[in-house]
Amino acid sequence: MPRYQRLALSSISAAALLAALPAGATTFTISWWGFNGDKMQEIIVNPFQELCGCEVVFETGNNGDRLNRLAMRSGAGVDVIYLTDSYSQAGIEQGLFQPIDRAQVPNIAELYDLAQAPQGEFGPAYTVGRIGLVYDSARVNPPITSWNDLWRADLASSLSLPNITTTAGPMVVLQAGRHAGVDAYTDEDATFAALAELAPNIVTNYNTGSEMINLFSTGEISVSMTQDFTLGRLRDAVPTIEWATLTDGEIAVLNTINIPTGSENVELAHQFINFVLSADIQRQLAEQGVDAPVNATVELSPEAAGMWTYGQEQIDSLQRIDYSQLNPARDRWLDRWNETFGM
Amino acid sequence: MKRLAGWMLASPATLAITFLLVIPVAITVGLSFGSPGQGDWGIVQPYADFFASGFRRNVLWRTFTVAGWVTVISLAAGLATAYVVARCPPWMKSTLIVLAVFPLLTGVVVRSFAWLVLLGREGMVNQVLQATGLTDGPVAMLYTQGAVIVAMVYIFVPLMVLVLVGVLENIPEDLMQASSSLGAGPVASFFQVTLPLAVPGLIVGAVLVFTASFTSYATPHLLGGTRQMMMGTFLQQRALVAFDWPGAAVVAAIMLAVIVATVLVMTRVARRLNPMAT
Repeated sequence: MPRYQRLALSSISAAALLAALPAGATTFTISWWGFNGDKMQEIIVNPFQELCGCEVVFETGNNGDRLNRLAMRSGAGVDVIYLTDSYSQAGIEQGLFQPIDRAQVPNIAELYDLAQAPQGEFGPAYTVGRIGLVYDSARVNPPITSWNDLWRADLASSLSLPNITTTAGPMVVLQAGRHAGVDAYTDEDATFAALAELAPNIVTNYNTGSEMINLFSTGEISVSMTQDFTLGRLRDAVPTIEWATLTDGEIAVLNTINIPTGSENVELAHQFINFVLSADIQRQLAEQGVDAPVNATVELSPEAAGMWTYGQEQIDSLQRIDYSQLNPARDRWLDRWNETFGM
Repeated sequence: MKRLAGWMLASPATLAITFLLVIPVAITVGLSFGSPGQGDWGIVQPYADFFASGFRRNVLWRTFTVAGWVTVISLAAGLATAYVVARCPPWMKSTLIVLAVFPLLTGVVVRSFAWLVLLGREGMVNQVLQATGLTDGPVAMLYTQGAVIVAMVYIFVPLMVLVLVGVLENIPEDLMQASSSLGAGPVASFFQVTLPLAVPGLIVGAVLVFTASFTSYATPHLLGGTRQMMMGTFLQQRALVAFDWPGAAVVAAIMLAVIVATVLVMTRVARRLNPMAT
């Protein structure tokens, strides 16, 4: 073999070997929505990469998509997963998550009670939000003050509610039960009769926050039910949007972080959760408009606190949902919901 | 030896189709059957459940109607456009074809979204209707069956035009001259010569458009919303929301069956209309 050929061959093999060798750093995979990308990079990803000496990569998408992908890989492929509590309950029931070793996450002790162990031994909540009603004050008069206002005759063809397939959707059914004066879990006929009365007020039901914001900005709707994190973007689109002060209480929604059973970096995953729950990170996330803090030691200025579910008193006033009861009911309700709104 | 070479050449494509199409479809269809001891209907119980639900029958019928209307309107619009394009001088033909297929350059979501803007309560169509005094207030057009059909026709007509231009161009000009020399007017020539010869193209176009609209997801999702659920959006709900994979597999298998049946019927009709068509 001529010399230059040998040289070429050996350099190709060397290059191939180098490419095949594992990179020095561990790869840590986070599954989350992908919202607020720049801020998450700055507040969480960059400092955590420095702390762990690892490389952070993401899997993004909505709750259902990401949970489904995880289930298809039997719990492998990501090290931590962010989900709303309704979906993390579904993941727990599918056996996709491992219990959190609380000794490795000391910051959990600093959280509000409701965030420490919302779903037993599994992941803690890292933020709390509210589900309530929003309306366009330029078009809705008198203002909305109760869940019962959804049934008002003057709101014909001006509502969009979250589809039953979203986090907030099944709560529409619960509110319909309250409106009818029955327990939605035990008297489904009366509950769905109340929902049917609501049908003339509904333009269409939405599946994503962006869809709902679009419906407001194109003038299709003037009232909707949503989570508080959409309020900022809603007001950017329609400045006259108001968050309704409800006499009958808003609903708490907790976002959790869990460690899937197939995580390859379990220790690092615990370290990550502890990092995200630390007072410093929680404060930065709140001040930058990303997430409301659940660490009780975080103190916010009145301006920063204004947009969030913040402080013991406000958190205590929220209605709580038991997803181990709601999720199985949701599967039963799906068809009746479809029949009520989709025929 | 020659035969072996033929098999070798065909093997990559055959393997790809087996692993990426035949096996996944077989798994999906397999998943849709229940266990033998289940309910009154045994292994076809999931299908019995599907057809027992008024809502599901309604979704299937709606999907069938929408796909049917879209196919018929696209055939008419596509044929008229293709007829004009095929008879143009060559330089103009290429310009017209580029213009006709121009919408294909953007994604189906973008094209559906455009209709969301046009048909909205404050959209252009409503503004024109009110400015001309045809209506007093805004008309609710979004989230109706009509909105889904209009958007799908817009999306699929370019496909139909592309298929039909090719077919119409290949009909020899001599035949038209012959028919007029035998006393047929332009209308009679069109219906008695051009149309029968275009049947193969019409069938290919109709099958393409029917299949695509029967299985479409983005357009019914954006423009039909939850009140106009179709098989595609219902399938998504079963699989990704209810995590009911067997239920989703039933929807997929029914969609497959409807499409295969429609294609068979269309080819049979085509053969009857024009024995040389298939």
